[in-house]
Amino acid sequence: MQIFPIRPFNPPGDIPALRQQVRDLVAQHESHWQLESRANCWFSFDEAFSKALGKAGLLAMNWPKEYGGHERTMLERYVVLEELLALGAPAGLHWIADRQTGPLLIRYGTEAQKQKYLPGMARGEIYACIGLSEPNAGSDLASVRTSARKTPEGWRVNGQKVWTSGAHRSHAALTLVRTEEGSERHAGLSQLMIDLDTPGITIRPIVDMTGSHHFNEIFFEDALIPLDALVGTEGNGWKQVVAELALERSGPERYLSSHALLVALIDAVGPEPAPDIAQLIGRLTAELWTLRQMSMSTAAKLDAGEDPVVEAAIVKDLGNAYEQALPRLVQAAVDADLADRTDLSRLLVWLLVQSPSYSLRGGTPEVLRGIIAKGLGLR
Amino acid sequence: MSDNRQLLADMAEGLFAELAESDFEAAWPRLAEAGFSTLLVPEDKGGFGGDWGDVLAVLRLAGRNAVPAPVAEPILAHHVLALAGIEAPQGFVSIAAPGCRVPWGRHADAVVSVEDGKASLYMVDACTFTEGESPAGEPLDAVTFTGTAAAGAPCEADLAALGAFARVAQASGALEAAFTLAIEHVNQRQQFGRPLAKFQAVQQAMAEFSEEAAAVDASAAGCAAALDGLDEAGFEIASAKLRTNIAIDRATPIAHRVHGAIGFTMEYALNRYTRRLMSWRSEFGNDAHWAGVLGRRVATLGGKGLWVEMTRRSDRLIQPA
Repeated sequence: MQIFPIRPFNPPGDIPALRQQVRDLVAQHESHWQLESRANCWFSFDEAFSKALGKAGLLAMNWPKEYGGHERTMLERYVVLEELLALGAPAGLHWIADRQTGPLLIRYGTEAQKQKYLPGMARGEIYACIGLSEPNAGSDLASVRTSARKTPEGWRVNGQKVWTSGAHRSHAALTLVRTEEGSERHAGLSQLMIDLDTPGITIRPIVDMTGSHHFNEIFFEDALIPLDALVGTEGNGWKQVVAELALERSGPERYLSSHALLVALIDAVGPEPAPDIAQLIGRLTAELWTLRQMSMSTAAKLDAGEDPVVEAAIVKDLGNAYEQALPRLVQAAVDADLADRTDLSRLLVWLLVQSPSYSLRGGTPEVLRGIIAKGLGLR
Repeated sequence: MSDNRQLLADMAEGLFAELAESDFEAAWPRLAEAGFSTLLVPEDKGGFGGDWGDVLAVLRLAGRNAVPAPVAEPILAHHVLALAGIEAPQGFVSIAAPGCRVPWGRHADAVVSVEDGKASLYMVDACTFTEGESPAGEPLDAVTFTGTAAAGAPCEADLAALGAFARVAQASGALEAAFTLAIEHVNQRQQFGRPLAKFQAVQQAMAEFSEEAAAVDASAAGCAAALDGLDEAGFEIASAKLRTNIAIDRATPIAHRVHGAIGFTMEYALNRYTRRLMSWRSEFGNDAHWAGVLGRRVATLGGKGLWVEMTRRSDRLIQPA
């Protein structure tokens, strides 16, 4: 058994031209982007840029045309995504809708739901967030308590979600709720697509340790949600969520989060760095190149209709370890004054503080290794 | 995998498994007879006409079976001779990369070196060897060319880089073999009333092991694709050898840790893989060597240039539909 048989990454079309299209679009918009936002693509917001991406056909790339998509391949989408991340483009507004909420609605949503949300998402105008975590349901997602009771008027939703990234900038939250009273664990869960301007919903900010606001708490107090907000099958929420999470494990966002610092390091030390710094750059490059190989190979498997659960967990675990180690390795090797305002110092400080979040979003190392161990038949 | 490569792999697997516990004297005639040496030599020059993907498949299996004889070295030697247009001599030809020892040198009938853009073939009577041994007990001999070359011709091949690729390919196989042993062991070995595999700490360690083996597989495959598709694969080989060295650093301790004292005996097979991995980490460039080579190269590209170069290289490998 080869643990990771590689599949060639072979997107159709003129890929260099597609890269150039993204690079040109970024060049038109980047003048007002803050340095730190380049190291925080997922949570940096630029509405004009999100709409420009939509207009250029670079969102919803592999969705059906009837819902505003462009029917291009997942691999072409991958190319666009890695370009945006490597260039540090702000993707926070459209990120979740493009990556997972839209695809989930395409798979499980009703026709009315698709018509309501997808074309706007594809234009970069409708944004979504993920209502999963709760105060007592983080890594142990199945202990969700937020409840939705079916009444003739609609779903009565009560409870609380937490760590909801971008809820304050989103129009809707795809929310996991317990629709069967008294059910436990994986049973009795369903997904509702909840418009966040509904009465009875309160969104409160959580300021993270970088000083930024992207996390939120969402409180539901007898919020009345239309019956047709149910996505997929009542009681099938767990299975749908697991499928949704698989969409977010192996992409380039799992190893490029700190890339801006590598760029700044190379620029700061110039073409003839000291031997120890050259070795550090070499080591980081070798890891980056290998991760990209693995991520592209996993994307090719997904594109071929396979279900590379273990490969995706491997990419995410190794990728997170790399993007978290990068700022620490730079700090250890480079004599940088953390209090000065050079690009290198600003990015280093930002990423030292920001990077602990990389291994908590989308599954901790322990959770991922558990998935891998299961794939290896050990549990 | 193409049908041809599958046939080649099946043949190699059968032979290598037979030779796994033999020695040079017993193994070399069988390897020579099977014709692996000419794997990269074009068919019109009497060779197998294979590509680097084939080389990866064969060397991966050689590593997985810990074949106690040279498989990689004659393949590279005959490749360089064919590139340079030098007729290959009979017998076992090994390689002398700049600054590197000659693997299995004392057994060689001839040695190929490439230096300053020139390939040279030295017959054994022109070589003086100072014998040495790898941590796996295999010959690693220093050579001095005390006679004149039998032939020489211009050649741009980077023999150290090709040697590094060979060790990456072999390491991918050896890591799989060590991993397979470890999986079997943790599933069978009972401690504290249950199999080791049921302990979460052991599961987590084995998951890490698999990640490292996967990284080596991916980097090896990426290298072979670059060697087959690009005119120059220095970036990919430097990255892959360094990443493989890192994987050896991380994975071999786990292999031994989960085996306990059982894995530390000469009798148990694990050391056949881990001692070779320990040696291969140093052969054809250790971590610092390749990190320096790659880092200096990347520094000249500039910060944004790194990404431009990485994507340019991979995009050149895309096959038109």
